[in-house]
Amino acid sequence: MTDTPTPSARSAEASRSISATEASRANGATDASRQSAHDRQTPDLVPSALRIFDLSLGQMLWSRRSVFLGVLLGGPVLLAFALRVMTALYPSGFRINGAVAGGAPIFGLIIWLLYIRFIIPVLGVFYGTALIADEVEDKTITYLFTRPIPRSAVLLGKYFAYLACTSLLILPSVMLVYFLIVPIGGGSIGAAFPALLKDLGMLVVGLAAYGAVFALVGTRLKRPLVVGLVFAFGWEPGVLLFPGYLKRATVAYYLQALVTHEMPQDSAVSLLMQVFREVPGVLTSLASLAIIVGVSLWFAGRAVETREYVLDQ
Amino acid sequence: MTAEHLSKWYGQVIGLNDVSVAVPPGITGLLGPNGAGKSTFMKLVTGQLKPSKGSVTVLGEPIWQNPGLYFRIGFCPEQDSFYERMTGLEWVTALVRLNGLDESAAAASARRALEQVDLMEAADKKIGAYSKGMRQRVKMAQALAHDPTLLILDEPLSGMDPIMRRKTIRMIKDWGRAGKSIIVSSHILHEIESMTPNILLINQGRILAEGNVHQIRELIDEHPHTVYVKAEQTRALAREFLAYDDVLSLKFEDEAVVVQTGRPDAFYARLTELAASGAAGAIHEVTSPDDNLQAVFQYLVKS
Repeated sequence: MTDTPTPSARSAEASRSISATEASRANGATDASRQSAHDRQTPDLVPSALRIFDLSLGQMLWSRRSVFLGVLLGGPVLLAFALRVMTALYPSGFRINGAVAGGAPIFGLIIWLLYIRFIIPVLGVFYGTALIADEVEDKTITYLFTRPIPRSAVLLGKYFAYLACTSLLILPSVMLVYFLIVPIGGGSIGAAFPALLKDLGMLVVGLAAYGAVFALVGTRLKRPLVVGLVFAFGWEPGVLLFPGYLKRATVAYYLQALVTHEMPQDSAVSLLMQVFREVPGVLTSLASLAIIVGVSLWFAGRAVETREYVLDQ
Repeated sequence: MTAEHLSKWYGQVIGLNDVSVAVPPGITGLLGPNGAGKSTFMKLVTGQLKPSKGSVTVLGEPIWQNPGLYFRIGFCPEQDSFYERMTGLEWVTALVRLNGLDESAAAASARRALEQVDLMEAADKKIGAYSKGMRQRVKMAQALAHDPTLLILDEPLSGMDPIMRRKTIRMIKDWGRAGKSIIVSSHILHEIESMTPNILLINQGRILAEGNVHQIRELIDEHPHTVYVKAEQTRALAREFLAYDDVLSLKFEDEAVVVQTGRPDAFYARLTELAASGAAGAIHEVTSPDDNLQAVFQYLVKS
């Protein structure tokens, strides 16, 4: 015989069940509120940095700096266009040291002289040093520093926004130059394409390294732009001229090891560089650049966490 | 909010000097002339500055390097700085997202906050095109949007027209009645007085007095009060002012009338009515230099 619950017993059981459900819900709610209170105490770095990235990318893309960046990146494209027109006008081609130069070596020359030695460091200096300084100068940093996010997330989010913004703008510029220059003298676009991909990767690595170094300069020093320019165009090329270990304290030493094109011998300085050039391996260079990025961002993050930026206003 | 022996030095200059104070829940006005230490106090309380000496705790926790506290604090800063190319709604939404809300929840919170400050009509306009009063209100909206327990408002009425000023004072009182604690700073006594009787008087980096405002206002009324009124028809406005017996003097400056009054309360009340009636054209901005308050502080310090 099975025990069939009487209506009153069913009702009592149902009532117990409802009470248990309510209690469980109540406990759940308490747990949830406890969890929520806990979450409120511990804002995470990465999600906070991603939100700052969202906020900053649009700001960066439509800033006055981007106009400057456009002009800077338009230069090589205009030069490539002019070379292409001249090739059409003078079909005998360009001669370097008496020999007819093909498109690929000219493209390599442009990568070295314009992008590696000039545009990448300039972008690093102008954007990297301004990551926090612009917000401080505009007095908008207060809105970010009085939100429940770690201050270092502001730096990190802005750094990634810089990397995305500059990469989005530099890659089309390099590709346009590539498509305009490589066919000169019968060069094959398809054959040189893998080298182009390596160039693009190398340029992004360069932007990452210079950006991180100059972000550190921007967060630590009072006149970051001057210091940045001296570092990029005084210290780095200067140290590379001499033999010894000092050149390992530069970004250029590791970055130049990633370039697949021949280093141009366009001046006495370049010749000197060539003579004393040591080329570290690709893996060594990539690891060193990763360490430079990591260490620079860590120290920059520490500076942002502890510095009283309102005093600069 | 509690400060214990709180001091802040900027090199050789003392910004705040050995301040010990406990701000109770409710609305508290921080009153002092420019350079008195109000901004330093606000920046310490909002964790933007580190105390040189002493401590400051907000909602029971130290604020410096404690970002988790900002879930419960809303701050409306004094400076008139924005991402000018963003619309009011985009800007408030972007800032509320930093509180951990997803896009749709942040947009909903931002809309609610913009409605509260009566700015929904201009929500989709770029901030660069906002008037001074609208900019003040959008700053308050970003402070409110995440429903904080404590609101810290630094000179929130600065540059607002009389009608918006009255609305904003009413809003602040409503928020106080709704259970929020509010610290609001100003250098104009009558503004603070219309929001709360609880004040902290600050001058030369020290808290001079705390408590009821009414004793102070008697002192204030003994001193002439200067009011700068930027308006569409300055001459018509000046004619109206000349009919008031409490107006001691007036002069024209660019597109504004600068008035000295012996009874600021009565003057401000009539000015609000005048702005509402439109009898003397639109009134764009009302500000008050702090000379009158400075005189009272000098008096207090001497006595």
